[in-house]
Amino acid sequence: MKKSHIYLATFFSILLMAGCELEKIDNYDGPNASIYGGIYDIETNELIQQDIIRGTQIEYIENHYENPETQYLVVKNDGTFRNNMMFANTYTIRPVRGNFVEVQKMGIEVKGETKVDFKVLPYIRIKNAKIEKVGNKIVATFNLQQNVPNNVKKIGLFAHQEPNVGEPLKVVSSQVDLKMVTFESTIYTLQINLDENKNNLVPGKQYYFRIGALIDAPEAKFNYVPAIRITL
Amino acid sequence: MKLFKTTKKERMKIYQYQYIILGLLLFTAASCSKSLDVVPKNKIPGDAVLSDPNGITAFVANLYYQAPIEDFVYFPREGFNARGNTGSLSLSQYGLEAIHSEWGNWNQFKNEWWVKGYKLNRNINILAESLPGLSMAESEKKALMGEASFLRAYTYFALAKRYGGVPIIPKNQEYTTEFESLSVPRSTEKETWDFILAECDKAIEMLPETRSSASATKRRATKWAAYALKSRAALHAASIAKFWNLVPLSGPAATQKLVGIDASEANRYYEQAIKASEAIMNSGAYSLYKPTPANPQEAAKNYQDMFMDPNIAASEVIFLKGYGQAGGALAHDYDGWNNPNQTGEGFPYRGRTNPIMELVDLYETYDKPGEITPLATTTAGGATPNEGYNPSANYLHFDSPEQIFQGRDARFFATIIYPNATWKGTKIVIQGGIVKPDGSLIDSRASFDFNGVKYFTYGKEFAEQYSGYDGSANMTRTGFLMRKFLKESAHISSFNQSTTDFMDMRYAEILLNYAEAVVESNYTQGNTNAAKAINDIRRRAGHTVDVPLNLQNVLRERTVELAFENQNFWDMIRRRTFHTAFNNKLKTALVPMIDLREASPKYIFVRKNVPGTNPQTFPEKSYYFPIPGTNNNGLVQNPQY
Repeated sequence: MKKSHIYLATFFSILLMAGCELEKIDNYDGPNASIYGGIYDIETNELIQQDIIRGTQIEYIENHYENPETQYLVVKNDGTFRNNMMFANTYTIRPVRGNFVEVQKMGIEVKGETKVDFKVLPYIRIKNAKIEKVGNKIVATFNLQQNVPNNVKKIGLFAHQEPNVGEPLKVVSSQVDLKMVTFESTIYTLQINLDENKNNLVPGKQYYFRIGALIDAPEAKFNYVPAIRITL
Repeated sequence: MKLFKTTKKERMKIYQYQYIILGLLLFTAASCSKSLDVVPKNKIPGDAVLSDPNGITAFVANLYYQAPIEDFVYFPREGFNARGNTGSLSLSQYGLEAIHSEWGNWNQFKNEWWVKGYKLNRNINILAESLPGLSMAESEKKALMGEASFLRAYTYFALAKRYGGVPIIPKNQEYTTEFESLSVPRSTEKETWDFILAECDKAIEMLPETRSSASATKRRATKWAAYALKSRAALHAASIAKFWNLVPLSGPAATQKLVGIDASEANRYYEQAIKASEAIMNSGAYSLYKPTPANPQEAAKNYQDMFMDPNIAASEVIFLKGYGQAGGALAHDYDGWNNPNQTGEGFPYRGRTNPIMELVDLYETYDKPGEITPLATTTAGGATPNEGYNPSANYLHFDSPEQIFQGRDARFFATIIYPNATWKGTKIVIQGGIVKPDGSLIDSRASFDFNGVKYFTYGKEFAEQYSGYDGSANMTRTGFLMRKFLKESAHISSFNQSTTDFMDMRYAEILLNYAEAVVESNYTQGNTNAAKAINDIRRRAGHTVDVPLNLQNVLRERTVELAFENQNFWDMIRRRTFHTAFNNKLKTALVPMIDLREASPKYIFVRKNVPGTNPQTFPEKSYYFPIPGTNNNGLVQNPQY
């Protein structure tokens, strides 16, 4: 009995859908191109580490339209990005609000698989970074090389169970307000005491640790070194 | 020779056609007569409304109804005048005052004021443009023009604090198909605030000081309400100018100054806030309600009474939004949604607003005036880590849960329902665990026998006997519930039963606006009055020792005095502290537990992140809302949208 009802209902739904031409979902072509690439240090050619939350974004505008909306791409933690849902066209594109010196807009043509790399000058390079477990502490040591004359606002060591760890995604952090111009020869040390943070950094589990430094500039984001996994 | 010879039969046919054509002509001629244009008997035509004094009164009442007052029926996710199943997800739950008992939503808005604001703007313009032709006394016309300016300032204030600089349309546009001619570009943020303050000035000049009845004086704009609005708006504009550089935004809207104000403008706006506040303070028309209570208990009662029925506090109320018609469209549900579970009285939802420790810790203790003394839960004191129960911590022991709050500011007791508080004659039970004699913790539903007594995790056995921590939406998950605004004598069992009026602007806010503007702008001539302003407010709360004038004292006093009045959220927006306060933010709770480790059971309190929440990080772009429909209206969008 019940089954025949379901069959009937299905049959009529199909009829209805066919009647409304719902088998055609859209009468436009879908996205047919993709864009990918990375944000690289113009001098060392290394990818520049980023944040996902409140991080660097790439603004792009599709040309040949009136009042085009600005669209945004989020950059991954390692400094790469990808969008497979692009329409083949020319675009004006620029990475913005990042941890590097402002760059100019550029025009690109997106067609098929298009690779776009940005070469930028990071505000700060964190050099000789070392994160180790020493007794009941996680100790980070590093030097700072700053590429702009601004103050360094703060430095920090961040911990989280996800590899995307950073200032906006952390369970524990050790942060120091510097508010000064730094010298490359200075060795900075940051520590997280594991005994005091037992509830958030559970012994025996794995966590990711990442060193960051923030320049004092409008809308600047932290510069980082790649996260390191440590078993506590 | 006849070319066309017609037979008799054919001639008959022609006549028939002629009759038909004649008939059709008659019909079409008649259709052009106006005999079918009947004026509907059940509706009042527009021009009649605006040419009749009673019509004007009704029209103006509707404008007040539409005004963007953030009151008992404003919920950020639902918009203004929201009733029904709102969840009572209020603005205070988005900031550092409270959290919702069930939902983690925050920073989520119904972006409706753009459309509603310009609709109201059009209605105000219709009123203003029809006034000159009306036959009524000039004084009445002037007062109505003043009301139009007040409402216009209110409308644009609500736009500016959300969108920054907006198109200013002070005259109605005539409809035309030349759409380009109708589009008005955004003014800069500075021009927008200047327009708002100028409209306030017009209102101040034209509005009467009082009206025919006490009720009308409070519910309709007066000269003093216009001053109060100006005080609030100027402080907002000044803060944006002063703190813009803490979180500068970039993009076309920022370069064209559609968002952001130069820091050099800050003191000009602070001065306007000071002058507007001073006008009210020097008028002699207002004072704090019951300013000198004999003791903290009396202070708590006075403060609570004032919000249960603002009509008793005429000297304090500057502008009031009234409610009425219980069961009808002009009542609200603040009581229903927020009563403790134990006194639910049949309303289907309860206990939604849960105050958090970030607010509770700000209430001063009488023995340490001017200091922020966090509730001590362990012998170490202070705000210990929010780690939850730790068997080796030295918790302070209490015979009864309410003892931990002894000596706190009277306003704490009048604003918040705490563990073991008395509400509607009932002791409110809020408990989240049992510490067993061996030091282990029970924090899920259970009972434990000890010395012949049965102890329950949540304090009592059955859900209707307690009000916290069992994980259901009717129970607090922070240890606290709302008391301010709730009517203790009311019995609410269905929707739209609350008729408590809402004080939108009151004298204490003016004193606090004044003090903040004086401190932030280094206006030293105002120091004596500003110190008096905050100490008068503290005296009314039962304090007897004056504190010095400084920013910390002013801001703490503001947060505590105006708690849950939908000010704190905007304070964090205008002072640009939202992104630092909400950086991986977990709100914190206080969990009372019964500790069975000693011979006689004692209560301990455990600080803990609110259960079931995720860290919240405020994106900087959220200091402004996105402007709807920019691809059609061609306006410059706000940064990062």
